[in-house]
Amino acid sequence: MFRTPTAFYLRRAALSLAQLALPFVVVAILWEGFALFGPFPPRLFPRISAIAAAFVRLIVTGILPLHAAETLLRLAAGFGLGAVVGLIVGMLMGRYRWAEDLLVPVVSVGNPIPGLAYAPLFVLWFGLGNLPAVLLVGFSATFPVVVNTWTGVKSVKSIWIRAAETMGATDRQLFRKVVLPGALPYVLTGLRLGLARAWRVLIAVEMLTSVSLGLGWLIFGAREYLNTDVMLAGIAVIGIVGLALEKLVFERIEQYTVVRWGMLQR
Amino acid sequence: MKRFVLGSVVSFGLFAVVWEAFARSGLFSSALSPSLTVILPALVQMVVKGTIFIHIGYTLYRILWGLGLAALVGVPIGILMGRSKAAERFMLPLVSVLSPIPSLAWVPLFILWFGLGDAASVALVFYAATFPIILNAWTGVRSVNRVWIRSAETMGAGRRDLFQKVVLPGSLPFIIAGLRQAFARSWIAVVGGEMIAATNWGLGWVIFDSKEFLRTDVMLSTLVVIGLLGLGFERFIFQAVERRTVGRWGMVRSVGT
Repeated sequence: MFRTPTAFYLRRAALSLAQLALPFVVVAILWEGFALFGPFPPRLFPRISAIAAAFVRLIVTGILPLHAAETLLRLAAGFGLGAVVGLIVGMLMGRYRWAEDLLVPVVSVGNPIPGLAYAPLFVLWFGLGNLPAVLLVGFSATFPVVVNTWTGVKSVKSIWIRAAETMGATDRQLFRKVVLPGALPYVLTGLRLGLARAWRVLIAVEMLTSVSLGLGWLIFGAREYLNTDVMLAGIAVIGIVGLALEKLVFERIEQYTVVRWGMLQR
Repeated sequence: MKRFVLGSVVSFGLFAVVWEAFARSGLFSSALSPSLTVILPALVQMVVKGTIFIHIGYTLYRILWGLGLAALVGVPIGILMGRSKAAERFMLPLVSVLSPIPSLAWVPLFILWFGLGDAASVALVFYAATFPIILNAWTGVRSVNRVWIRSAETMGAGRRDLFQKVVLPGSLPFIIAGLRQAFARSWIAVVGGEMIAATNWGLGWVIFDSKEFLRTDVMLSTLVVIGLLGLGFERFIFQAVERRTVGRWGMVRSVGT
């Protein structure tokens, strides 16, 4: 049937593309049907063409990239803060028994409290704007990083540590060459969970602390003017950024470190 | 165990001392960082007057509706995705695009669609909870040992028996794990949703409302309640369920701790 392998592969690629597109087409048709015949007026439930138009308009005018950049900057600052604190605390808990005894109870009560619940308190303490948003994002990101780093350090095989010690490794070498790489799969998982949490909290906290720019703020502000098309375009961007963070950043890092070292199968 | 209890006592004691020092240091005014002697009476008062229980009740009501609906929708979809290739091909792209969108990004839209109040919060919890449930049920079904399915088929199990006696119990550890994750997410979503889609009850709403009156003591007591409830659900309900089902059937080791 297929003359050349190229034709075969082209056809297969086209087929899998069609398969990938099918669910979105079906959802789009349902959405359009609901927008046209559903109970909501178009202002509340815009058609896809309106959402796409808003999306293009916001990108061309540079509004959406501006908001997205601001949000990403805030995410980087907050997550960076949380990651550093979380790594240090988690390492301490993994290496020293006293730190573990002291911190495990506090961490296990603090962990299930949604970071967002602190938002009003942070606003009272640090005012409106960037500072409470970044601090809150950092604070929420810390917990998963702490828990996973701690687990990771504890899961380093004690035989590796003993072997390194026997061969005369100093404390510093032990840490750099044994404990850190050994704990890395867990640490990366922790960072990943922390980033996911930071991202979720950030979008919500931008709605509450009235920052001047940001994707969360864009969506929340659009509500005042019933700009549902802008809201949905903003949500789409949030989804894309979230997916990109997950796929491009973390899978890449894992690929280069723990997967390459044969510590984790993919 | 004894060491853990002792550690906890010392840990919370130390934490209280640090907080007290911070509260009295004058770094923030005492209205913003109340001392424990103010927080504890506020907590006691909320308990005695019973308001805290009404707030807890409303929050749990919203969570249970949202989570229940999410389980009703998510578990069948996940199982279907695990059993049928076509369903998997159709659902997986949708799920992987929708699930990274933070549920709270939908709040403003849900408010416009469902109005302020319960419906918006329930919809939010539903959105937050559905995806972990779907993904875990799907993974669970795929992880059921092939040999079990084949041997059941060889022994003449019908489709229904196969599903009821092999696939469902086999994927249960994952389904429970999914519910657990979904609960953690709903917990976040409901607090955020109540803050923004405020009605006049609910734990998230109290915290947000207390800001208007500078009642940091009420805020902090509510935070403590939220933390304890979250921990309690995780420790007592989900672990008990696991112990009764998958733990007892010997499918996962070391449930608990």
